[in-house]
Amino acid sequence: MKKIAITGGKGGTGKSTIATALAFELAKKNKVLLIDADVDCPNDDLILGIKTKKVKDVENMIPKIDPEKCIKCGRCSEVCREHAIVFVKGKNPILISDQCTGCKACKIACPVGAISESKQKIGEIFIGKRNNLHLISGKMKPGVEESSLIVNAVKKYIKQKEKNYDYIIFDTAAGTHCPVIAVLLDVDLGIAVTEPTPLGNHDLDLILKLMKSIGIKSHIVLNRSDIADKAIIIKTAKKHKIKILAEIPYSKQIEKDYSAGRPIGHPAIQKIIGILK
Amino acid sequence: MKTITVLSGKGGVGKSSLTASLAILLAKKYKIVAADCDVDAPNLALLLGIKELKKKEEISTNYKAVVNKEARNCKNIVDVCAFSAITWDKKNKIPKINKFLCEGCGACQLLCPKGISLKKVKNATIGEAKTKYKFSIVSGQLKIGEAGSGNVVEVVKTRARKIAVDADFMIVDSSAGIGCPVIAAVRDSDFVIGITEPTPSGLSDLKRAFDVVNHFKIPHGIVINKYDLNKKFTKQIENFAKKNKILILGKLPYDKKFVEAMVNLVPVVEYNPEYEKLFSKIIEKII
Repeated sequence: MKKIAITGGKGGTGKSTIATALAFELAKKNKVLLIDADVDCPNDDLILGIKTKKVKDVENMIPKIDPEKCIKCGRCSEVCREHAIVFVKGKNPILISDQCTGCKACKIACPVGAISESKQKIGEIFIGKRNNLHLISGKMKPGVEESSLIVNAVKKYIKQKEKNYDYIIFDTAAGTHCPVIAVLLDVDLGIAVTEPTPLGNHDLDLILKLMKSIGIKSHIVLNRSDIADKAIIIKTAKKHKIKILAEIPYSKQIEKDYSAGRPIGHPAIQKIIGILK
Repeated sequence: MKTITVLSGKGGVGKSSLTASLAILLAKKYKIVAADCDVDAPNLALLLGIKELKKKEEISTNYKAVVNKEARNCKNIVDVCAFSAITWDKKNKIPKINKFLCEGCGACQLLCPKGISLKKVKNATIGEAKTKYKFSIVSGQLKIGEAGSGNVVEVVKTRARKIAVDADFMIVDSSAGIGCPVIAAVRDSDFVIGITEPTPSGLSDLKRAFDVVNHFKIPHGIVINKYDLNKKFTKQIENFAKKNKILILGKLPYDKKFVEAMVNLVPVVEYNPEYEKLFSKIIEKII
């Protein structure tokens, strides 16, 4: 079993397009699990035209403060780095549950044991399939801050099922912060999808640095390779001693397939599959 | 000072391009300041022709737990970590912390005060620059592998307010998604511009982003980018707007000039002044 992350830094470079196309191609001969780990904005079900159903609520701990036991010392508010507990002298502390990450620091700090554990829903896990291709999507509840908690819940959910698959493909969020890191820590290989614009290049450099610091092997796929001069990407690739694995020129057909919910077919996908073997 | 924030949910639909052009036009009539709150992958300064930020400083908005040898007695902290950052090193009989997963919440330190110390980490760099368009920009960059992007966003906005106390508007470019950095960017805004494109993903993500905006009860409107790539779907977005009484602020065509402008790092209203009218209309509808 191999675990691959499709990532890129910049948004809209084609991460989901590549992830769904790769999963779709691989699933013709293998058992494939595609994980939509862009839990802020998951779209792989839309692109693949898969109807998903909810299998699990993702819950997180939130503190429950017993007003009878509380001595109004304010210690819980002091230790909360998320500023999720508001304390005014002489009054009971107030919890702002959206800001709470469930770290339990308040519960540990409370000198009189007035804080117990309760739960709040922070997201959902969905499953769906199309022939041999299974899809699991994590979806964060809007208003919740900590996306990585949902990614971790998805990782935990698939732990027992991993051995049933030949390939597990993670489609990550844009950017380089916690929800992306949570995926990259758990894969064998990362594929950075980028485009030949200065912005694509800038963010490619960041994501390649991140993958290097985590210690995973990375490859570059250059999408819309002909919309501008690709020299900047070649330079960044050289700097990181990584080859550009595949290029996909801009095509209206790909845009159309994307809007219509069809995975794209392109020789570049075969090239990616080539290095996975 | 009024704060206008640009968001989208989905990445790559044109947030920074729109922000740059709106900022330039606003600056012709008003005093403004721009804040790039996409601290994961900040691009707004690049788009405004800034090569190097000035007055750069490292900031620290986050902590990381560090293991001391007294932690040998603290096997219980493995289970307390809500971020699964702590494992037990069987060989050395001591807890081990994965620095990429540690969020610096301090729960382990409270449980094991002697064995764990919390260290402040310099998790971001922020800086500012004067653009040639008569306004300044503040930009932040989260360091590779660091957490705490929401707090870094707060620092960027605070600094922008400080260097332009007499500004009429602050224009904020947020990151993709709807998580902590976006919430921090949106929270105290006066108006939110949601930019989208006519694809199922574009609309689905915009709706999720507006769920967050509605949570904070902030007035908002929509800009449809590349509207002519799929007119049928553009209609769907317009229907969604109508049903939810959201103002359509403007529709931008798909034009190679947008790509050319971005490749040349010139905001589109400067690259192709014909577009000035279109962007000015967006501003008229907001102000």
